[in-house]
Amino acid sequence: MCGIIGYIGNKEAQSILLSSLGRLEYRGYDSCGIAVASSSIKVYKDAVRVEPLAKAMPQLSGTIGIGHTRWATHGKPSQANAHPHCDCQDKIAVVHNGIISNFHLLKQKLISEGHNFTSETDTEVIPHLIEKYYDGDLEKAVETALHQVKGSYAIIVLAADETKLIVAKKDSPLIIGIGDRENFIASDVPAILDYTNRVIYLEDGDIGVVTSDEIRIKKEGREVDRKEHKILWSVEDAQKAGYEHFMLKEIHEQPKVIRDTLGEYAQATEPNVDLERIRDAGIESILILACGTSYHAALIGKYIVEELLRIPVRVEIASELNYYGQIPAGTLAIAITQSGETADILRAMKRLKGVGGRVLAIINVVGSSASRIADQTIYTRAGPEISVAATKSFIAQLMVLYWLMMSYSKVDARRLASMLLGLREMPGKVQQVLDNEDKILECARYLSAYENVFFIGRGINFPVALEGALKLKEISYIHAEGYAAGELKHGPFALLGPDAPVIAIVTQDNTYEAMLANIKEIKARGSPLIALAKEEDGTIEELADSVITVPKVDAIFSPVVNTIALQLLAYYTAKERGCPIDFPRNLAKSVTVE
Amino acid sequence: MKQAVILAAGEGQRLRPFTVTKPKSMLSIAGKPIVQYVVESLAQNGIRNIVLVVGYRKEQVLDYIGAGKQFGVDITYVTQEKQLGTAHALAQAKAVTESEFLVLPGDNLIEADTIAQFVTTKPEAVLVKKVDNPTRYGVVTIDSDMVKNITEKPREAESNIVNTGIYAFTTEIFSFVKAELDIPTVLNNMLAKGYPINTMETDGTWLDVVYPWDILSLNDAVLGQIPANLEGTIEKGVSLKGLVSVGKGTMIRSNSYIAGPVVIGTNCDIGPTVCILPATDIGDNVVISPFTEIKNSVIGNDVNIGPGCIIENSVIDKGCVIKGHFAAYSDEADVRVDDEYHKMDVGAMLGEGCSLGNSVVAQPGVILGNYSQVQALKLISGRLPDKSLVF
Repeated sequence: MCGIIGYIGNKEAQSILLSSLGRLEYRGYDSCGIAVASSSIKVYKDAVRVEPLAKAMPQLSGTIGIGHTRWATHGKPSQANAHPHCDCQDKIAVVHNGIISNFHLLKQKLISEGHNFTSETDTEVIPHLIEKYYDGDLEKAVETALHQVKGSYAIIVLAADETKLIVAKKDSPLIIGIGDRENFIASDVPAILDYTNRVIYLEDGDIGVVTSDEIRIKKEGREVDRKEHKILWSVEDAQKAGYEHFMLKEIHEQPKVIRDTLGEYAQATEPNVDLERIRDAGIESILILACGTSYHAALIGKYIVEELLRIPVRVEIASELNYYGQIPAGTLAIAITQSGETADILRAMKRLKGVGGRVLAIINVVGSSASRIADQTIYTRAGPEISVAATKSFIAQLMVLYWLMMSYSKVDARRLASMLLGLREMPGKVQQVLDNEDKILECARYLSAYENVFFIGRGINFPVALEGALKLKEISYIHAEGYAAGELKHGPFALLGPDAPVIAIVTQDNTYEAMLANIKEIKARGSPLIALAKEEDGTIEELADSVITVPKVDAIFSPVVNTIALQLLAYYTAKERGCPIDFPRNLAKSVTVE
Repeated sequence: MKQAVILAAGEGQRLRPFTVTKPKSMLSIAGKPIVQYVVESLAQNGIRNIVLVVGYRKEQVLDYIGAGKQFGVDITYVTQEKQLGTAHALAQAKAVTESEFLVLPGDNLIEADTIAQFVTTKPEAVLVKKVDNPTRYGVVTIDSDMVKNITEKPREAESNIVNTGIYAFTTEIFSFVKAELDIPTVLNNMLAKGYPINTMETDGTWLDVVYPWDILSLNDAVLGQIPANLEGTIEKGVSLKGLVSVGKGTMIRSNSYIAGPVVIGTNCDIGPTVCILPATDIGDNVVISPFTEIKNSVIGNDVNIGPGCIIENSVIDKGCVIKGHFAAYSDEADVRVDDEYHKMDVGAMLGEGCSLGNSVVAQPGVILGNYSQVQALKLISGRLPDKSLVF
């Protein structure tokens, strides 16, 4: 998604903007650019990555500037469509993340008033609108301009001869980083973490004036105070630290993520009062909403809740919930989102809140928009996730779901005690999966030659099959589909054969026998078969062409070890195929447009 | 000297089962992997530009040390694909070294004052130390502070001064490495060509781990220097004596008795009525159930110990699950490593991820391979390979 950055202070802005843009790369982008102001505004932008842009760029002198990484929504990736965008006289420059839904009308009107447009973007209406209202008071001009605008935006406005930046936010993320006689503005924290760890999160409707030593924020004409947060993780967490890719680093961080997440919650000596209130509210069913990988965590959550709480669970893709459905009363909604900025989730949460629902959010990014909408927020302790393909945030989400549901479970004490021990063992079991990379690498080499792969699972591991397929397709570009093992014969069987390998997730639970039967059916159709099974299974070795072993765990926790094995499988397959693993084509880290 | 190269690629085969999934440099001593002591010692001496040569199970080093920010250093990683020797490892770092640099083994425990003088020395130079058992090491013959010759593991030592594996070099060294695999051979070749090599002696800490039980003596030597620091929750009625460290999120329940030096990690659940005696190091996320006594032992992360166990002079690697009444007494034992027998007072050494049923008894000196499973009421003894099933 688009990333924006702003700097105002006493240093040369150019190098700070470029290094911060580098830190925003993970959000996914196709073009980038910066603008630096002194007595005039100098813009340099192109449809290239940050590094070549920085190399080709002349020295732009000035201590105030803005920058942008663009993920095309309106107009193809090109130099003209790249941000920053300027007004007719090149006196005002704007960077923008979001979508202006009424830009057609505004653009026609502005053109009829004599304004000159140079791009196909929605964004360009903003600098022209500001130009129209600018009479020396930049803040007022931005405010008036934004009154005309419908849609979502996080913007930074730069003007020649002004020693301030104007920022505004609605439905797109924006933060201000507080420095010493300098301030930073960005879409998210990693962009500015090299310079400061003191951060203000702006809220919807906020308009701010940022100078080198002052930050003033107004909402609906009234001055407001926004709390300063200290970011506890460091640049260290956002560096590759010897690994070739962020994805592999993040996969390897999972034992620690599990320990941190459980340490945070399972060890809490004081019961969480807020959650007690949820229990007492008489919940008859739970609605879980999420997108992408988080949706798979939600599907696993369904099995966890139904086994432990014995109440019905409905899992919805957030973007779908937005277009249908009556929300039943008495339902607790759980929203799962890594970034807390996913536009579809935010919209669904607002809709639920609008009809009087209670929303509990499981979020990784502290202070994100979703945490402000939710009644209560539980943070996963995954740390910053840079790789576009989600790994550790998914595992952390599962850990929170296990812990949360175990706290309220209706199972007997003996079962609970054995589950608690199982949770304690999780970091070690996961490490065991990571230490078994050689076998996974061997299977990845084999898989990399194919263009179609099926993943099958049953029960609580059906969502794991979906997640395994998603990981493989998003980073290796192999077409992969996840199926409930029993569903394969209702259609997909037509596609089986020597060119379509199947990866079967075999669990030692009540699905075991049925799974063996499925595997035999698949082998009879000639598909190569890789099984994911516990060590010394005995039978599987004879049926499958290759077996990736995972340590034995309680069936309810099997999604954790199985998913991590499939993450590694996807990673090494993509590596074997030479794919740009951390930045897969067309994808963005957090999808802040609907 | 502004830069250091740490060689942390080696496996440490004689330390199996503890080095099956991690390099020797990542063995935990008093709550920290050995390589962290080396990194911190360099940082304290103002050397922040560090090149880490990794190889065997390198992910374990990357995951823990990272880019080095938390230790106040900048780390550049270089990979040695095959562990052929120290000179070969050093040669991998050629492209990233400055004109002068230190070289240190990542798997020897050193402290800041060990190298405090040496960081200002003029290359080429070797840091040497007097030891009691020189035949385990490279014995250095010295003539008026200059190296005459280095003899690796001699049958009879001419002196008790040995090579610590800590060197000061210029880029000149690389022209001598060529096909040589070990640094002492390279140095002997330099000497033969008439190159002068200085020596400096240290009386600071320099400890090597060769055998599994060395983990215990190193742990003992270092634990006493760790200042007391109590976080987490200490319930009423807990007695703490001496230097005791308790990490964040850890719960020590009533009636437990802890006599330092003892280091306990984060998020542990200990007690009630658990007795932990000197010198013991307990990792993160460890559960120790009531009426268990642990003495002079090293317990890894994520270990779960049941009620009524006795664990003395033992090493229990991460992720083991031990049910109640496990007995690992210490006594004089003959322990076999490769084809050598060693006589010593030692308890049990359990590899990672082992699972032990109720009332298992360990013979002194037992070495149980990683991921082994032992059924209730069994006696384990001798050396058992990885993934053993004792039924």
